[in-house]
Amino acid sequence: MKYFLASAFLAALSLHPCPPALALSVHGFLEGVAGARLTDNPAQPKDATLGEGRLQVELSQEGPADSRLFFKADLIGDGVEERGDADLRELYLDLSPVQILDIRVGRQILTWGTGDLIFINDLFPKDFVSFFVGRSLEYLKVGSDAVKFSLYPGPFSLDLVAVPHFTPSEIPKGERLSFFNPFANRIAAPGESLSMRKPAATPENTELALRLYRTFGSYEGALYGFRGFFKEPAGMDPADGTLFYPKLSVYGASMRGPFLQGVASFESGYYDSREDRPGTNPLIENASLRYLLGYERELWTDFSVRAQYYLEQMLEYGVYKVSLPPGSPEKKEYRHLLFLRLTQLLRYQTVELSLIGFYSPSDEDGMVNPQISCKITDWLSVASGANVFFGKRDFTQFGQLDKDDNLYLRLRANY
Amino acid sequence: MAKKRAVWLMTGFSLFLLVSGLSLRASAGTPGGAEEIMRRSYLVQFYSGKDMRSKVTMRLLSKEGGERVRVLIMARRNVKTGGDQKYFIVFLQPADVRDMTFLVWKYPQRDSDRWLYIPAIKLVKRIAADDKRSSFVGSDFSYEDVSGRTPEEDNHTLLREEKYEGKEVFVVKSVPKDEKSDDFGYKVSWIDKGNFVLWKEEYYDKRGSLSRVFTADEVKSIQGFPTTVKRTMKNVQTGHWTEATFGEVKYNLGFADSLFSERSLRNPPGELAR
Repeated sequence: MKYFLASAFLAALSLHPCPPALALSVHGFLEGVAGARLTDNPAQPKDATLGEGRLQVELSQEGPADSRLFFKADLIGDGVEERGDADLRELYLDLSPVQILDIRVGRQILTWGTGDLIFINDLFPKDFVSFFVGRSLEYLKVGSDAVKFSLYPGPFSLDLVAVPHFTPSEIPKGERLSFFNPFANRIAAPGESLSMRKPAATPENTELALRLYRTFGSYEGALYGFRGFFKEPAGMDPADGTLFYPKLSVYGASMRGPFLQGVASFESGYYDSREDRPGTNPLIENASLRYLLGYERELWTDFSVRAQYYLEQMLEYGVYKVSLPPGSPEKKEYRHLLFLRLTQLLRYQTVELSLIGFYSPSDEDGMVNPQISCKITDWLSVASGANVFFGKRDFTQFGQLDKDDNLYLRLRANY
Repeated sequence: MAKKRAVWLMTGFSLFLLVSGLSLRASAGTPGGAEEIMRRSYLVQFYSGKDMRSKVTMRLLSKEGGERVRVLIMARRNVKTGGDQKYFIVFLQPADVRDMTFLVWKYPQRDSDRWLYIPAIKLVKRIAADDKRSSFVGSDFSYEDVSGRTPEEDNHTLLREEKYEGKEVFVVKSVPKDEKSDDFGYKVSWIDKGNFVLWKEEYYDKRGSLSRVFTADEVKSIQGFPTTVKRTMKNVQTGHWTEATFGEVKYNLGFADSLFSERSLRNPPGELAR
């Protein structure tokens, strides 16, 4: 794929009759990150949640006719997992063959929708482990190997993404954060792992995602469609003790615009769990309806507040309850999640104090993430914060992380 | 009888037209009213040409000798002269904001729509922007200093006419009509009598003490439009100041309205970004 892209790009370059000055830009950063547990965790022998050095290299080469080749990779020395690693974050080619069409081919990070850390119609892979241990925000998203067509025929715009090679979201797997083992019905012991079965890379398993959007004055409206697989392993196969990613289709819509001196947004989606439509299989997540309401406002200079309310309604709940084997953790029909983000900028916006909070009244769990970050100079920055999790039950999203509270520190030099 | 009334009406109407026409001409030739001076200065500063693009370099300087640099490309299109505008900004420096893009749809009568694109996670974020006085990219310039404050928001009084650095100027005092909405008590502007360039502006806080001072340090005529290519905003209370240089200024590039959209945020086209 890499070589194909590079050679296609070089070919495109050499075909151009009179190449103008095509700029190559080289950037990146060197980052040191450390993180440690705040409490003893019997499931986790190590005290460190983070201990890594990262060198990020970003190359961007402009080509003829608004084309561009983009490369971004990290070299990582990881003290927690005691290994070196290279992570190809992005490698894509941008083409604009006709005025109304943009094409992006290769490994790319894809984001859409109106949520802040809560996603309904954005079914592209995420890495919540990175977020929960305190890596910087850019590591929340994982690249997809995909082709994206963006069409701009006039009054509306259309994005169509094809992902031939499935990439799952990163979830806690025991290396840094505890996880609930659904086969054993408890938090996994040290060294315990779960095997996950990814869908085979066949043409019929190609994931498709679509967004149709336009503005209505100051308001933005969008319709979404997705056909692919759950990004988290929402299915259990007791035959071989593996988790898998069941088939999923999603249909949704969103709206965003000014409201009461702030910005309000609404997003909803119908999750069609295609391998368990009637809800009779308790080992596969049921279909659901999901809603997200958001509101953001700057209350005073450089202080903003964002609040979100998320609601997930399990469909065929009666069937689910009847089919659930005795002793299994029972989910509720409605899952409510509240979100709050407070941000205060200080000292000519070089210091940022932020507080992020999640709380689910139905799951009785949540997390709090206070953080201070400071731009010491234009090229040197430091950030420090904590992630504190709480929950009454081991099988809920934040409850399983109850003993994973951590403190982190990041120092980054940009070039 | 009806005929007679019609004649009187006609005469009255003609007289009205004549008088109002005369007064219009008078205000166009030598603007007497402070409102008219501020209006024309506003148009010169923020609406020259149909559109404009410039590479802006801002040096943020502190009393202690600290310096930070912001470099960005700013493109602007007038939807209506004196009215709605669209702005597109690409950040080039510093490294942590490089390639971020920023889109503003400005409406003089209500809050702007603003979007920020964060390239590291490919996120288009809508910015809630109630506070027009908030700092632009951490500089001493506010959003309003960059995209303009509608003159109709203030009551203006012509204080005097004088010479400022060898130029004939009007000195105008402006007080916000809405006492609660802004963090300045009043401002005083020195405006060129010839081309309506704003040479100096002093902002006073609610208690009446001087808070910020704007100066135009270099003005050039570009494509016939007087353009402030170098300007300074100094916060006299903190000693922090910002010097902004507008390089590579071009007017009337013929930007299409569709360029000021989400497509450009995610993938800035050459004509806006280079």
